[in-house]
Amino acid sequence: MSRRNVELLFLVIAGAVSTMAYVSVYAGRFREINRLSIIYGLVFVGIFFVLHLLVRFALPQADPFLLPITALLAAIGLTEIFRIRPSLALAQGRWLLVGAGLFVITVVLVRDHMRLDRYRYIMGAVGLGLLIATIVVGTTVNGSKLWIRAFGFSIQPSEFAKLAIVIFLAGYLNDKKVLLSVPTHHMLGVPLPATKYFGPLIVMWFLSLAMLVFMKDFGMALLFMSIFVALMYMATARIIYVVIGGGLFAAAAAIAVAIVPHVQDRFSVWLDPWPHAATTGYQLLQSLFTIADGGVAGAGFGRGFLLYANRQPVVPDLQTDFIFAAIANEMGLLGAAGVILVYLLFMWRGFRIAVFAPDGFSKLLAAGLAFAFGLQTFIILGGVTRLIPLTGITLPFVSYGGSSITANLMLVALLLMVSQRTNVMREGSDLERRRLAERG
Amino acid sequence: MNKVISRIFVVGVVLFVALVANLTWIMVVRAAWFEDRPENKRSIAKELKIKRGELLGFDGSIIAGSLRRSGYYYRDYPQGTLAPQLLGYDSVLYGRSGIEQQLNDELTGKATDLGVQSWIDRLLGRKPKGADVKLTLVPAVQKTAQRQLAGLKGAIVVLDPKTGALVASASAPSYRPTTLEDDWARLRADAAGGPLLDRPTQGLYAPGSAFKVVTATAGLDYGKVTPTTEFVDTGTYVVFGGKVANYGGAVFGPNDFTTAFTYSINTTFAKLGNMLSRKRLAASMQRFGFFQTPPLPLPRGEVVPSGRYGKKGLLPPDAFMDPLAVAWAACGQEKVLATPLQMALVTAGVAHGGRVMKPYYVQQVTSAAGDVVQKARPEQWLVAMKPATAAALNTMMQRVVNAGTATSAALEGIQVAGKTGTAERGDGTNLAWFVAFAPADDPKVAVAVVIEDTQSTGGEAAAPIAAEVIKSALAQPALP
Repeated sequence: MSRRNVELLFLVIAGAVSTMAYVSVYAGRFREINRLSIIYGLVFVGIFFVLHLLVRFALPQADPFLLPITALLAAIGLTEIFRIRPSLALAQGRWLLVGAGLFVITVVLVRDHMRLDRYRYIMGAVGLGLLIATIVVGTTVNGSKLWIRAFGFSIQPSEFAKLAIVIFLAGYLNDKKVLLSVPTHHMLGVPLPATKYFGPLIVMWFLSLAMLVFMKDFGMALLFMSIFVALMYMATARIIYVVIGGGLFAAAAAIAVAIVPHVQDRFSVWLDPWPHAATTGYQLLQSLFTIADGGVAGAGFGRGFLLYANRQPVVPDLQTDFIFAAIANEMGLLGAAGVILVYLLFMWRGFRIAVFAPDGFSKLLAAGLAFAFGLQTFIILGGVTRLIPLTGITLPFVSYGGSSITANLMLVALLLMVSQRTNVMREGSDLERRRLAERG
Repeated sequence: MNKVISRIFVVGVVLFVALVANLTWIMVVRAAWFEDRPENKRSIAKELKIKRGELLGFDGSIIAGSLRRSGYYYRDYPQGTLAPQLLGYDSVLYGRSGIEQQLNDELTGKATDLGVQSWIDRLLGRKPKGADVKLTLVPAVQKTAQRQLAGLKGAIVVLDPKTGALVASASAPSYRPTTLEDDWARLRADAAGGPLLDRPTQGLYAPGSAFKVVTATAGLDYGKVTPTTEFVDTGTYVVFGGKVANYGGAVFGPNDFTTAFTYSINTTFAKLGNMLSRKRLAASMQRFGFFQTPPLPLPRGEVVPSGRYGKKGLLPPDAFMDPLAVAWAACGQEKVLATPLQMALVTAGVAHGGRVMKPYYVQQVTSAAGDVVQKARPEQWLVAMKPATAAALNTMMQRVVNAGTATSAALEGIQVAGKTGTAERGDGTNLAWFVAFAPADDPKVAVAVVIEDTQSTGGEAAAPIAAEVIKSALAQPALP
């Protein structure tokens, strides 16, 4: 079976599963299934069918699992959002449409990711600019400065900056990896490469610190620092960068805990939420209660106790950062672990693409994107389950939020392009290879 | 490079495995622990799936029913809101209170004594069904009491003196339990005047002259006075560097003890207080149930003890008092505070020949299978006085209504016995009290009424209300 037919088959399965979940919620809410509920399901399936056709035409050799996984996660998210607040599901559906549009534009415009390598410094500047813009003109929501309000929309630029910075770092580090792995001098007995090439690490550290202090957001700072350290490590295979990066970030985090009250609150709630049960710890404890209540099998889609009689969600921000609490409550441990497995599957496909990729830039790009995606998932899931301190970051494809879903759809487009090149270089015909070479 | 990429992937896998392990810990191993945490209100939500038992009035009508809405049961009040502060609320957001909290196990079918069927259901893992609870509250009397308090601030307690059954319990201002969650912030604001507070059991008021029933009991019981003991009133009684004056500055001249009780002469009662001394007054209070929490079964803190209160709360019965303090305490002022329930118990004690019955509100509990699993058994709580003292006080309290401060409580064909009280609060407003029982020769009902923030006296503001409630109660075909 060709890759695209595999993709189609899994898309159909994902579509069927999601339609069932959706219908279950709809029936739980309205006690009947009407034509409207099926039309919604069909529109959703339609969006992914169009994306599938585009991939079939433009990236025929691309990985067949990423798109169905995306569809499944997006469907679970939409279903739970609809469950929690139907009006937001419609908005999220619109954002999905916008994201699909950006996916199409990315694929049509870029076609091959190698072309992005040429614009690496522009990408780096864009990423940096987006973050600085957030610090300068951003608005504060829930204690964190992550949003820019423009044209009536709230945009979370860090979601897009994440992509730009991975592209920049993949190009830059691939170029400088040899220079970075050769130590030219020692400091306190630690072999270090030339300061010229080592500089970006310092810049990145300051950026993370700035994000912690000015954006008051632990999650995004941790994500950016980790992306950088992981890519440095992958490019140079030198564990010293992980040690230094980790140490620098730990120092930055300690400073932030000491001087930023918002980060301090999050940290003390993580250590012991019970004394703060009515105040700063309320949200996390309600999340834990809601998750614990799910049990092994869960209450069933649309059947958990997630809303009070006045339609307020039991956990504040249930539809965004805490959507996993709703999923765990209604799908149980089996469903929640299943969702985690789906994320792991996505990450696995990403790393697999990186391992088989024909060149350094492709490898670093695919691995960087897969790592960013996986780590973001871990940060929010660990946060809502009190494995790590809670930070406001979205669950890719599932949380309500336009920036998150559009940026992550672009991430999928990039991964598909890398896998297209990988597969063509490995097993494609001469004609295909020549076409690819021309494009690059 | 591939080796390092694989290594990072392995780190990712480890992190995700940690997530699943932690999730298993929360959702399986510690699930019950989380459910039992007091901060967790989700168990209330779960119990909404159980058909909650109904709360019935003494006449068998439904006061609080159970209505099913999209899989969850919600309270429904077909007769309107009756005694919401006593019945309490059952809210996922704000927890439970009152009878809803106290009898939650019965109402959700979780109590252990609900019969064989409930036990089998639990064994088979079937969803339990709530037991219905018939209360001693008589809806008609309750409605009369609530109507009398409309627009006012205060409380009414109606007891059956022979059994201790709570016939009615009204508290104003009030609230609607059906819209509790939307109104919560407004109800809790200072301006609302405490509508969630159950004034009959938790409202502490200076009892004023209504407390003279207690002082008179002590005087008669200890043989310090008889109904005919002579006193002379000069308008003030000077003692220990202070003085006790009469309400409104009245001067009565020579008076016997019955007259002093009838017109509520402060100087005579202040003198009696010092004839008794602190010890005997406190002992008599204790025999009425002061200085302890009345045994009305409600959640912790929802029934408060009456007695003398200092800055740090209830004082012990043997706390020091100088003669001036004793003189004022004998008139129901000083640091003496009482709940309307306690004052109703005092009145019921006099009405029942000196014996105070244990107050209760559950008439019977019927399991979902239809078996009566619990029935009220009236019990004596305390003996407050000798029967002869009770008989003498009964006569004196009739005089108050027939010729004294409470002529406004007199009813056609029913001999009412009572005592007024007017406690001045120093801010220009009064607390108006009236405690009473009727019919005097065979008491069937004992009432305590308190009205806050009034310009009127107990005889003007509280006595007519008590009369209406007594009339309504005695018109009922049956009382508990």
